[in-house]
Amino acid sequence: MFEMTTLVIPTEQRRSDEESLITENKMTNNPDKNIKTLGIPTEEEIKQAQIDFAPRCTSAGRVNDKETQKMVQYILNFARKHSLFVLAYGTGCGAIEIPATMTSRYDAERFGIRGAATPRQADVLMITGYLSTKTLKRVIRVYEQMQDPKYVIAFGSCTINGGMYFDSYNTIKALDRYLPVDVYIAGCMPRPESVINGFIKLQELIQNGNAGGGKCYRDNLDWYRANQQKVIKNWDFPDKYNW
Amino acid sequence: MIEKETTLYLGPQHPGITGNMMIKLKVKGDVVTHAETHVGYLHRAFEKLIEGRNWLQSFTLLCRFCVPEPDPMELTYARAVEQIEGRDVPPRAKYIRTIVAELARIQSFLLWYGGQSGSSGLYTLGQWSVGDRNYILDLFEDLTGARIYHMYMWPGGVRRDLPEGWVDKAYKTMDYLERRLVDYNKLLFDNAIFQKRAQGVGIIPKDKAIEWGVVGAPLRGTGIKHDVRIDEPYEAYADLDFVVPTYEGGDVWARALVRRDEIKQSISIIRQALDKMPGGSYYNRIPNPMKWTVPAGEAWVKTESVRGEIGFYVVSDGGNKPRRVHLKGAAYTHGVSVLEKILPGQNIADVSFILNSLGVCPPEIER
Amino acid sequence: MQKHILNRLKKVFKVEGDIKAPLRIKIVADKDLVSSILLYLKNQMGFIHLNHMSCVDWIEDNKFELVYIVWHPEQKQTVLVHTFIDRDNPVMENIDTIWDQANTYEREMREMYGIEFPGLVGAKEFILEDWQEMPPMRRDFDTKKYAKETYATRPGRENARDVRKEIMKRSGEELPEFAKKYSRD
Repeated sequence: MFEMTTLVIPTEQRRSDEESLITENKMTNNPDKNIKTLGIPTEEEIKQAQIDFAPRCTSAGRVNDKETQKMVQYILNFARKHSLFVLAYGTGCGAIEIPATMTSRYDAERFGIRGAATPRQADVLMITGYLSTKTLKRVIRVYEQMQDPKYVIAFGSCTINGGMYFDSYNTIKALDRYLPVDVYIAGCMPRPESVINGFIKLQELIQNGNAGGGKCYRDNLDWYRANQQKVIKNWDFPDKYNW
Repeated sequence: MIEKETTLYLGPQHPGITGNMMIKLKVKGDVVTHAETHVGYLHRAFEKLIEGRNWLQSFTLLCRFCVPEPDPMELTYARAVEQIEGRDVPPRAKYIRTIVAELARIQSFLLWYGGQSGSSGLYTLGQWSVGDRNYILDLFEDLTGARIYHMYMWPGGVRRDLPEGWVDKAYKTMDYLERRLVDYNKLLFDNAIFQKRAQGVGIIPKDKAIEWGVVGAPLRGTGIKHDVRIDEPYEAYADLDFVVPTYEGGDVWARALVRRDEIKQSISIIRQALDKMPGGSYYNRIPNPMKWTVPAGEAWVKTESVRGEIGFYVVSDGGNKPRRVHLKGAAYTHGVSVLEKILPGQNIADVSFILNSLGVCPPEIER
Repeated sequence: MQKHILNRLKKVFKVEGDIKAPLRIKIVADKDLVSSILLYLKNQMGFIHLNHMSCVDWIEDNKFELVYIVWHPEQKQTVLVHTFIDRDNPVMENIDTIWDQANTYEREMREMYGIEFPGLVGAKEFILEDWQEMPPMRRDFDTKKYAKETYATRPGRENARDVRKEIMKRSGEELPEFAKKYSRD
């Protein structure tokens, strides 16, 4: 009931594992009747699966793509990982643990994590919990206003699979359909230790050049837009952004 | 004098907003002329979802109604179910519930210290008080297993007894907090910046306050003595001695003074309850929760939370699921109609200051 | 005290009612009488605080039950005024001229139950945005079905299956000893 452990899976690894999980189900032919076992997929199902799975971000993290600039990239990444400015936007109830994380006992500032007031100054967008469709629209707008490099941390069980709001008519169930998520932090509420753990994982990803959510979003914009428009009924966004 | 009227959207992404809501302001120069609250960013359809859960399952949803202070929600709902069903609560459970409710009140006050001082630019106090709040969350963790959402109070009592050594730890924490309160008050109430900014700002008129639906500390800040703990004593409050502080003025300053005194009263209540703690059982066993039905009926139950009086209107149709659970939070009136009435005439810089002093909690408005 | 209040209301308005609990008086009134009862309670009897307004959907009887809860600050008494309106044609008198904050409740009810309050000012959308289905708090609205159709769910998490082992395999962690006895396998 009170799961306090952190589950942090980098985007790339998680996706490939999810696929392997499904092939496993197919091979062992799981006896549990409730689980939809996958037989030979029809063409329609393959198409659906392609839509359903988030696109992989292969050449992630290379904001500057020239291979020759490796040393520069290393230094840049080192600098970036030690100054993570988190946008002050409490999108859900997880925002209650952010003050505790930022203040004296847990003191996240020793890792270079601190708040930023506006999206233009922020590096990290923290989705603290469930997103109602009304907030999702604002969050997408905020994310697109942020400047590269930018990262998304999803916070709490409800961003992963809906959590206890699995049957709610107003909240989205899996955040990575709509925004590129770099790190997930599991739990309801995740403890401040978990939050800091998630940030350290993000720092590792940044240092290795694997946290490329922003680039992934730009490359697969059509796919994300299609998903977003399924949920947001009255679509009044600008067509093109000048990134 | 500037004649042109501009529209200013404060929120939903704004550091001064408590939670996730938006206030649409019309401003002339620096002065607000018209305010309109927009909510719905945190709507999770709890009341709809609870209709599909059984009586005990709904507790996991209920405590998430308001994030800074989840325990009064559980307490009120548990009392409503007990009232419909006619279930008794053992005296030990009543005392434990009182202690948990008061601990929740203190931790919420400490969070308020951070918000109120942070919105006037004094960040030191937030670092101290929110840091010290962790000591109370530690107590919760020992008692219930979780820091924020406890799901600790059930119909018929509480989920666990007090663990070994918890009482001593609670006494020690109370002593520590009492010492720290002196420092907080020096930092906030002796500060000229806070005094100048708080006095005469966000005034709620005394003669209109009850009619407007103002409750809790903002009402006591206008000089009207109203507290559910005294009007309709629940749990162990009838046995305990405490004073309900009131101040005249109705401004942010008076509300802050009320809260400053209330936190001392809460510490005293917890000490008394720990002293008087009776023995015996801590719960009254309920039947198998999956088959448990509550007889048809309705209840309107009120509790005093930090932000003011909260109430649950619960209707049962005799089944194993609630027919209707409707929360009336204090923020429902404070955050919408009261705020829209008192904001015109204030400065833009004072808006988030007033929001914090009213204790507006958006998830309570839209649920 | 309670008997006195109840008798006075019964005498003036010819309503039914009884004492539910200490400090709680319940009266059931006709739909057309409600606003005059509330006005009388506020102006003549001192129940100046509107505590709450609620709505219950009795789909079996094809009725909505509206509840108005008012409170007396000196006598500490609470009166619950119940009334029933037709579910097919839900129209109710607007009381935000009596209490301003009733406007908030009525806007929410209009959105969540589809009850019309003639003369109600304020934006049509209060909580929801671009909602195209039936009002969601009505009991015949199936929220689970709607959620399934509208939102993409994560593959493998359609039901309450225990996935801890798979998560462990992915992250390379071991299941702790104490957690093994809670496993559903």
